[in-house]
Amino acid sequence: MSIPAPSAAAGAITPAAASWAISMRDLTVRYGNGVTALKNVSLDIAAGEMVSVVGLSGSGKSSLIRTINGLVPVTSGSLTVGDRDLATTRGRDLRALRGGIGMIFQSFNLAGRASVLDNVLVGRLAHTPTWRTLLGLHHASDKQLAFEALESVGILGKCWDRASSLSGGQQQRVAIARALTQQPHLMLADEPVASLDPPTAHAVMNDLRRINRTLGITVITNVHLMDLARTYTTRMIGLRAGEVVYDGPAASATDADFEAIYGRSIAPEDVLGE
Amino acid sequence: MTTATPTPGPTSASVPAAPVEHSVLNVPPRPRGRWKPWVAAAVVLVITIITFSPQWGVAFSFDAIARNWQNGAGKIAQLLVPDWSFFPRTLAPLLETLQMAVIATAVGALISLPLSLWAARLTNPHPLVRGIVRTILNVIRAVPELLYAAILVAMVGVGALPGIIALVLFNVGIIVKLVSEAIESNDAGPLEAARAAGGTGAQVNRAAALPDVWPAFANQSLYVLELNVRASTVLGLVGAGGLGLLIDAVRTFYRYDQLSLIILEILVVVVAIDVVSSSIRKRLV
Repeated sequence: MSIPAPSAAAGAITPAAASWAISMRDLTVRYGNGVTALKNVSLDIAAGEMVSVVGLSGSGKSSLIRTINGLVPVTSGSLTVGDRDLATTRGRDLRALRGGIGMIFQSFNLAGRASVLDNVLVGRLAHTPTWRTLLGLHHASDKQLAFEALESVGILGKCWDRASSLSGGQQQRVAIARALTQQPHLMLADEPVASLDPPTAHAVMNDLRRINRTLGITVITNVHLMDLARTYTTRMIGLRAGEVVYDGPAASATDADFEAIYGRSIAPEDVLGE
Repeated sequence: MTTATPTPGPTSASVPAAPVEHSVLNVPPRPRGRWKPWVAAAVVLVITIITFSPQWGVAFSFDAIARNWQNGAGKIAQLLVPDWSFFPRTLAPLLETLQMAVIATAVGALISLPLSLWAARLTNPHPLVRGIVRTILNVIRAVPELLYAAILVAMVGVGALPGIIALVLFNVGIIVKLVSEAIESNDAGPLEAARAAGGTGAQVNRAAALPDVWPAFANQSLYVLELNVRASTVLGLVGAGGLGLLIDAVRTFYRYDQLSLIILEILVVVVAIDVVSSSIRKRLV
């Protein structure tokens, strides 16, 4: 019935249900070593938004992303993702929540010696009983989802290859396919293009925008390059020393806005270019 | 390449550096403490001399060698002429030795795989569980395999079984230590991704950690197979099966010609296993 059009961009993968909104109230995150990564952050991100989080390294943008899926625990304040409060969600509930949130990373985070397909199937862990994973028995429907996700990012042909044999751009696409296989309600990206060359970086940002537009999934991505934030996202949140110093439309953010976020004048390395 | 823009930039970089006059170079002072290796060497030397001295050290004297050298020479002469007719009787024990080594490696490796994951910080975030596993393994590793065999012979009787159990314990100690150390140096990224996708601890280890653990695991298992072939030849000395039983028998009757045949066989087998396993290990990329 719903045979996916082979070249339909991300068309084969459908989110399990509506995409999720995020709400933060006085969210504070402090690490065990005493460093305060986020200070009283209050934000509302609507379902289906495409948001970039901008700031220097150490500004708290990575902590913000990781708090949303519970990789970093909430110290105080409240954080609601979908209909769950992260401060009180633990164990099985937390894993179920994470299952609904796709995430991609700066260093791709693929198991290098595993096949591309096995890496993408990691996206089904939250929906797979542990014994099946331990025995390496994957549901045919999960494999189908993985193949569709790989097709939607254009690297289905590599599915049996070892992940480490792929180029950086291809590896990041595998990581995107892994996230899509989760049928996510929300997509997080932590500096997704910082390890890529400019053309590949644009391609990956394009993939993220397409996921947002065609599937309606909320996307939150960290970037430190001004032009990427302006071009690919609709809303920009600026962080400096753990506090929100900018929140507004991305396209119209001026150089002065960026200088205020960075706390220094704009340098050539703040722009990726073509 | 791009349009030449007259930017006042790194001009000195493109111009070949002018020969530096022998001016005052700001060489940082040499770090102190270069005497330390010499002191360490001196300490080692002093300890060695003390252990030789008659009062405190081992009773080592060159005159014993001088007095008994003819004894030794006779034995060596016997050893140089192996008793080839003894060969058929060595075959069954030799085979048993190899079987013990293979079985012990397989069982030991099987037990070691989950233990290795539990003993590494990367794959087991619970400090208490990890500490318990590591402590048990330290105890297991502290006991030599020959002692295990001697105790187990008393417990389960003479034969290959105590030898195999002794080797399994020996193998688990080695494999878990080396593999868990290898795991610590693996990339944590894939595990974080699997955790972010909602996997349980076991799922994360299986799907994201294990693929990168295989090379170290296969490598150490093959290494342990080599060790087992060597070790299983002597376990028989305490009654735990294999060639050792035969070695003990011929040694008791001073049949050094037969002993030399056994030594030759061990040599051939050990070298063969080494060659095969190192050629396999080379292929493990």
